[in-house]
Amino acid sequence: MAIDLLSVEWMFDDGRVSELSSQVTEGFSPLAGMDLVPVLPALRPVIPGGGLRPGTVTGVDGSTTLALALAAGLGDRWCAVVGLPEAYVPAAAAFGGADGGLDPMRVLLVDDPGRRWADVVAALTDGCAMVIVRPPEEPPAPVARRLTTLARRNGCALVTTGPWAGAALRLRVEANHWTGLGDGTGHLRGRRALVTVSGRGAAGPGRRVWLWLPGPDGAVTVAEHEGPARLEAIAG
Amino acid sequence: MLVVWCPDWPVTAVGLDAGTPAAVVASARVEACSAAARAAGVRRGQRLRDAQRHCPDLVIRDRDPDAEGRLFETVAAAVSTITPWVEVVRPGVCAIPVRGAARYHGGADRETAEESLRIHVQDTVVERGFDCGVGVADGLFAAELAARTADGGMIVPPGGTAEFLAPYPVTVLGRPELTDLLPRLGVHTLGAFAALPARHVASRFGADEVRAHRLARGLDPRPPAPRPPHADLSVATEFDPPAAAAEQVVFAAKTLAERLHEALAAEALTCVRIGVEVTDAHGRTQSRLWRHDAGAAGRSHGGGSAAAGRSHGDGSAALSALAVAERVRWQLSAWETPPGEEGVGGIVLLRLLPDQLVPDEGHQEALWGRVTLSDRIMRAAARVQAMLGHQAITRPYPAGGRAPGERVVRVPVGDLPPGPAVAEGRWPGRIPDPAPAVVHPDPLPVRVTGADGAPVTVSARCAVSAPPRQIEIDGRVLPVTAWAGPWPARERWWDPARFRRRARFQVVTADGGARLLVVEGGRWYVEADYA
Repeated sequence: MAIDLLSVEWMFDDGRVSELSSQVTEGFSPLAGMDLVPVLPALRPVIPGGGLRPGTVTGVDGSTTLALALAAGLGDRWCAVVGLPEAYVPAAAAFGGADGGLDPMRVLLVDDPGRRWADVVAALTDGCAMVIVRPPEEPPAPVARRLTTLARRNGCALVTTGPWAGAALRLRVEANHWTGLGDGTGHLRGRRALVTVSGRGAAGPGRRVWLWLPGPDGAVTVAEHEGPARLEAIAG
Repeated sequence: MLVVWCPDWPVTAVGLDAGTPAAVVASARVEACSAAARAAGVRRGQRLRDAQRHCPDLVIRDRDPDAEGRLFETVAAAVSTITPWVEVVRPGVCAIPVRGAARYHGGADRETAEESLRIHVQDTVVERGFDCGVGVADGLFAAELAARTADGGMIVPPGGTAEFLAPYPVTVLGRPELTDLLPRLGVHTLGAFAALPARHVASRFGADEVRAHRLARGLDPRPPAPRPPHADLSVATEFDPPAAAAEQVVFAAKTLAERLHEALAAEALTCVRIGVEVTDAHGRTQSRLWRHDAGAAGRSHGGGSAAAGRSHGDGSAALSALAVAERVRWQLSAWETPPGEEGVGGIVLLRLLPDQLVPDEGHQEALWGRVTLSDRIMRAAARVQAMLGHQAITRPYPAGGRAPGERVVRVPVGDLPPGPAVAEGRWPGRIPDPAPAVVHPDPLPVRVTGADGAPVTVSARCAVSAPPRQIEIDGRVLPVTAWAGPWPARERWWDPARFRRRARFQVVTADGGARLLVVEGGRWYVEADYA
């Protein structure tokens, strides 16, 4: 039934039908909970369920690194970055440690989608497991519904670095502590970031996790120690 | 489109006339035969032995594609006295756009104008001693069939192409697999083929069959190119001193053609025609259009003149560099003895111009890219390109450089990536990892001051005037808590025009932000953000 409703949906280009259908089927659909878009193990504490559900929107505030880190667990799936001309994709290439990270060769970039950003995202949800987008303005509700519907159908998770009212999850970097840099000496080696989670999809509101983003080894991991770094131990 | 068709051209080219029973053979099969031989029962594709049984006094010659091209230049030159826009489809067939030429040569009435032009063209070619048929129709394919009709050709009225084509058998499409299959489906004529819905043809066959279907419907084989005209992709070579030998020019043409192919491939384009422009020492220029992508014209079909392109490959692909060079040779050999003029004083300029660019449908990405694009990704990218243009969607490829922004180049999806990456070479002055996640496309101006509030400067010997204590971006003042640098970069010191001396600094501010700053000529910029 869901499939038929989705084709109706496609015709009318409006999210409501499938939103209802998903509410109806969510409880017993065999597809519910399956085929999550994978994230790095280090991010599982902040992502309930250990992966992003297709069709959900995850907002990321204050850190492009964190947005790219979400894509670093995709493996051989594709990712698209829309409307972030300044995003430097290779930065996340080693975030997975031994498992690699975000493969720049599996990234599509649309630097300047202009007013057609929603159509661009809609096209890219078919083929990409994740689309990272910064809309030029907060998407109107029908546009947001259409995109999440298409994303759900195509198995794609949306990540936004801009405002998005329907975001299921919001991640925010509250604080950064850099290591490796002294007063005229050393170089940046790693940073510990305090990431907070909120939103209706979060396991508990106000959850806080310290993450290496990235650590001195280049990987994103959970940081054991809170608080400022012991500069002298790592600097050099 | 007006098409001049010289019957049995391979036979004509080896110096035999239509009255002699003659055949041109390749690998013991008849490739073309004269009218007299045909009357005796010789057919194209026949085995040589069978042909000789039908016609015992058959004169036999080996096929000579070079002579075909060379001799046909005489015909093309004759036609070009009427209009300069002559396109050689293949030796034996050339075309001119009819509208402009007819308006120039005839009265106001379209029909009489076209008819008088048709007769005029025919007379001009026959005067040079070559038999020919001349046909006029909307498209090249129909015009060639019109040229082959009895009595030396006919005119297909505008819009009447589909009707004209309908009774022809599907074999005239020159696509053996398709024309084997269609009669078995009960489709025997072009009319019946054209009646099939286009989307059904598209869903059951490939791109080539869709082209054939468009031909059968009397349309252009390719839909009009969706993109606006491009930057000039033509390539040229100058000869100083002027090239006296044709060999020299032909050799240069081969290299030039390779360059042109590369440039086209980089844009994921191919061209329908290739223009060859030759200028001699007297400043006379001769240009000629050659059909480049034979697939778009419809393959060779019935009758004598098989596609010469076949000798350069499968006959369906675009002209190879070698084939382009060959066409330049034909063009030159016909020009070296212009009637009633002084000799050519050597060639000074050779130019190749791609004409009528169309997107290349081949997927060269699979050969070149390290990660092949699945059809699904290709389709998604194509949809974005349809919305925003070809350059709008890119993939990041590694490149060599010191700063993060230089270590990646963005290549439009479908274009060829840059040459082998030198990314992992040693770049002195390279900023150590981790890489910043934000590299500003346009670096942001920033003010960097020391403890005394004076701007921090970096001397030519990389001495820092004072430790940076605060930075000011967009009016926001941020105290510096940690910093390091400078990482000097003297770039392209061998090239005075592009030489740059820069120094980079890493700076952490009190709000926890880390930035990569660059100073050049006393000005500071935020180049990247470790946000």
